[in-house]
Amino acid sequence: VGEEAGVPLKTLGHPTPRVDAFERVTGKATYTGDVLRPGMLYARVLRSPHPHARIRRIDLAQARALPGVKAVITRQTCEVIWSSGDSRNRRYLFNDPVRFVGDPVAAVAAVDRHVAEEALRLIAVDYEPLEFVLDPEEALQPGAVAIHPGGNLSPDGEGRRQPEVYRRGDVEEGLRSADLRFEDRYTSVHHNNAQLEPRVSVAEWDGGKLTVWASTQGISNCRSDLAKDLKLAPEDVRVVCKFMGGGFGNKNQCHDFDLMAAVLARETGAPVKLELTRREDYTCVHGRWPTRQYYKVGVDRDGTLRAIQLRGYSGMGPYRKSSGQIAGVELYRCPNVETVVHPVYTNMAVSANFRAPAYPQGVFGLESLMDHVAYALKIDPVEFRLQNLSRRYHDELPYSSGGLEACVRRGAEAFGWKARWRPPAADAGPIKRGVGMAMGSFAARVGRSSAVMRLDASGRVFLHVGVTDVGSGAKTTMALIAAEALGVPLNTVEVVSGDTDRCPYSVGESGSRTTGFTGYAVVEAARDLKRQIEAKGRPQGEAVLIASATPDPKLEGVARYSFAAHFLEVEVDVETGRVRVTKYVAAHDSGRIVNPLTATSQVKGGATMGIGMALHEELVYDRATGVPLNPGYYGARVMTHLDAPEVEVHFLEVEDAHGPFGAKSLGEPPIIPSVAAVANAIFNATGRRVKDLPITRERLLAALS
Amino acid sequence: MKPLANVNARDLPHAASLLAQAAKDGRRASLAGGGSDLLGLIKENLVAPDLLVNLKSVKGGGDVAPGADGLTIGGLVTLDALSRHPLVRRAYPVLAEAAESVATPQIRNVATLAGNVCQRPWCWYFRGGFPCLKNGGQTCYAVSGENQFHAIFGGGPSYIVHPSDTAPALVALDAQFRVVGPAGERVVPAAEFFTLPARDPTRENVLGPDEVLADVRLPPARPSSRGTYHKVLDREAWTHAVVSAAIVLDFDPGGVCRGARVVLGGVAPVPWRLSRVERMITGQRITPELASRAAEAAVERASPLARNGYKVPLTKTVVRRTLLSLAGKAS
Repeated sequence: VGEEAGVPLKTLGHPTPRVDAFERVTGKATYTGDVLRPGMLYARVLRSPHPHARIRRIDLAQARALPGVKAVITRQTCEVIWSSGDSRNRRYLFNDPVRFVGDPVAAVAAVDRHVAEEALRLIAVDYEPLEFVLDPEEALQPGAVAIHPGGNLSPDGEGRRQPEVYRRGDVEEGLRSADLRFEDRYTSVHHNNAQLEPRVSVAEWDGGKLTVWASTQGISNCRSDLAKDLKLAPEDVRVVCKFMGGGFGNKNQCHDFDLMAAVLARETGAPVKLELTRREDYTCVHGRWPTRQYYKVGVDRDGTLRAIQLRGYSGMGPYRKSSGQIAGVELYRCPNVETVVHPVYTNMAVSANFRAPAYPQGVFGLESLMDHVAYALKIDPVEFRLQNLSRRYHDELPYSSGGLEACVRRGAEAFGWKARWRPPAADAGPIKRGVGMAMGSFAARVGRSSAVMRLDASGRVFLHVGVTDVGSGAKTTMALIAAEALGVPLNTVEVVSGDTDRCPYSVGESGSRTTGFTGYAVVEAARDLKRQIEAKGRPQGEAVLIASATPDPKLEGVARYSFAAHFLEVEVDVETGRVRVTKYVAAHDSGRIVNPLTATSQVKGGATMGIGMALHEELVYDRATGVPLNPGYYGARVMTHLDAPEVEVHFLEVEDAHGPFGAKSLGEPPIIPSVAAVANAIFNATGRRVKDLPITRERLLAALS
Repeated sequence: MKPLANVNARDLPHAASLLAQAAKDGRRASLAGGGSDLLGLIKENLVAPDLLVNLKSVKGGGDVAPGADGLTIGGLVTLDALSRHPLVRRAYPVLAEAAESVATPQIRNVATLAGNVCQRPWCWYFRGGFPCLKNGGQTCYAVSGENQFHAIFGGGPSYIVHPSDTAPALVALDAQFRVVGPAGERVVPAAEFFTLPARDPTRENVLGPDEVLADVRLPPARPSSRGTYHKVLDREAWTHAVVSAAIVLDFDPGGVCRGARVVLGGVAPVPWRLSRVERMITGQRITPELASRAAEAAVERASPLARNGYKVPLTKTVVRRTLLSLAGKAS
């Protein structure tokens, strides 16, 4: 879409600094936390210290009496339901019983932060602690405490209490008839998205109209959620997010604190800023779902895959915000596949979307096991992948472009796999080098989004798109697509974004869809503008031309996917358990790359995040009390610059017929193969396979002893 | 956060008298040097002072002063300044390396030596506000809880590990700590400054509630001595030591070790001195065999909890490698 075949691109496809880089690095950019409104109050949230408890009584008298306190809301006074906070049950802003450490109990608005915090301490809550369960498998045992009526297996979309099932072929027969069978268990943990910008929301009413300055990945979604939950007309809600500092999936929807700020602002008649601490961010919003994965694989001696079976359990916390899927089997061609995944309620922090939500943990399990199978069959791990990788989506639909194979071949060549690969534990000394690889794929969906363009007589183009730029460089991407499509210099395009009163609908920066959806709308709007120019000529004097598009493209008979293969080398000190990633090559097929500069950053960031997930990150719980112990950057041991390796990035740039200028998705794919590749390299270095994430020093030294 | 008052101390006796006066008045007071640890403690509601006694107003409180009897280092020196000080780097590298290994550049720019030495533990039960022994309760939650980062030596009833990197280095250097109180001052050897929880589980050192750690005095450095700080951490920056070793060895011209200080961090509620190891290697040439035997001896008294057993082999490796690296430098 958007390009004459064979015509070289002028603007798009060249490394381009972000159009808002100057504002961001000089402090001129206004993030949500910077928003100050006249007469603004500050709000804080009181949260449950218990993982599961009934509330016998809340005494607000002392808090209300504190000078400077303007409003206190609890379940008694606030019946608002946060609909995107739970797709299966009614989740109120304040719940009784409380179901995890951090479940909101009350919110206070006061003249400043300190008064609001002091007021929280003056609220006396009498809890009746209930039994709790943290482990998703224990939660399904008979006799486990029911977190919601009906039990802890979260119902499916139709309300049936059954696991999510995918089947093709006959997996039992495939396992039975294969030459060899492999069986193993892999686990992953809850860890936080750890985005830089903390949580904050500012709400202000003007009569019946509500404005919320949010830190959100999608102003359109946030607005429709707010309108729905506060029972307002969508046009009476405005959501603004001019600059935002990252989310990685945990800022997709409107959040309970956005709603609380709106309710407190309505009660007090003043603007309200509600802020969360980093501790709250880590425990009270959501992180990646932890999994237990039980695999059975049938394979013939020549390496042909015959069957893959997965029985999985995902701990969703007490509220169901997302699918809980465990993804990965679509990487392989295999006639007999069965996956049975149980999304389970627990009393841990809520689990939901985090960069490729179902993937890196599922691919860690599956790609670790496939690696194990390859070694057991004495087949080179790369050859084993080439022999078995998916050529059609679920062996059925053809892919719209590109594929895994090209990524594996390009990555292996750039990495020098053949020269670098050695048998496991080849080094004699305590510092052992090893190499590993893994594959990944991710849907590059198409769909509805809008763009509006205004051309004035000076030749300036104002491009109105509802993106917020979560760090992906979306503003720059949209400007590049517009400039290329219109054939104008980049600096004549000004992007107007991040405000639902100024911008049309955008799908929001989730699911790696912004370029595919909103970028496609930009191409269509440019086409409209060019037609108008052709018909009416360029605008003169005070006249302007306005063009718009709301395309809703569909795919037919194809699966549109992005692909990746990562190759890396580690050094493992087997006497200290220290792991260093010393070389990293990432090969990606994301179609045409709109901006190689920001695209490369996406891959580096995703790869680095994956190393952190592989080696460090876990929200650790005290099992006796159900209290999380290490919420925050320090405790989570999030990767630092000193930990991050140099990542060599290769794009295959196969143009896709359905994307703007041939582009496919890129934001999420880079974290998918990274975790498994680290684990596989550690195996190659040491000859020991750690099957539980994260591969900490404690686990690694235990495996090596 | 509740309101609090700030008083700028003129000098350290003034600071001590402010602490004493506050105690008399029934007000809670906290010392603020760099404030990097205090701010976190206040934000997590682990301390709630009525009064901050600001030490940054004390002139010369961070001076590094060489003298005939060694080096005096003001407690208010920042870790960054300490780690860059040419004399410290040259004569007391174990201390410079320890200071340099702390946290992040941002923290080292404000955090002080005295604050680092007196830092509260980073046990996640303590920092998480559990009603544990350190928070005035009756239980150490680590005993049967998540104890992967806790003590393998000297634990009981509390199993925290001392979080300071500079403390093991100062013990290894035989530093003397000058402590100022309202009634005067006293000098405490570094090794006696830190106290085990068996004595009082609510504190980590001998400082009274109205006392201030004024400065540390290092004995003259011998040109023949070598020291280093080896820190194992779970990422490359901004974590406390999983295990660390501050080792200072003195070698005769023939390369025989004639004096040794071997002190561990990250493994015990105090900087953990390995006197037996020191005796084993004194008078010896440090060979790989001796280093291995010393490493075995280092963990003889270790009693790990359920999840920190990995610290035992890790400690052995750290002791062996650090001894050998110093022996290599000596020859």
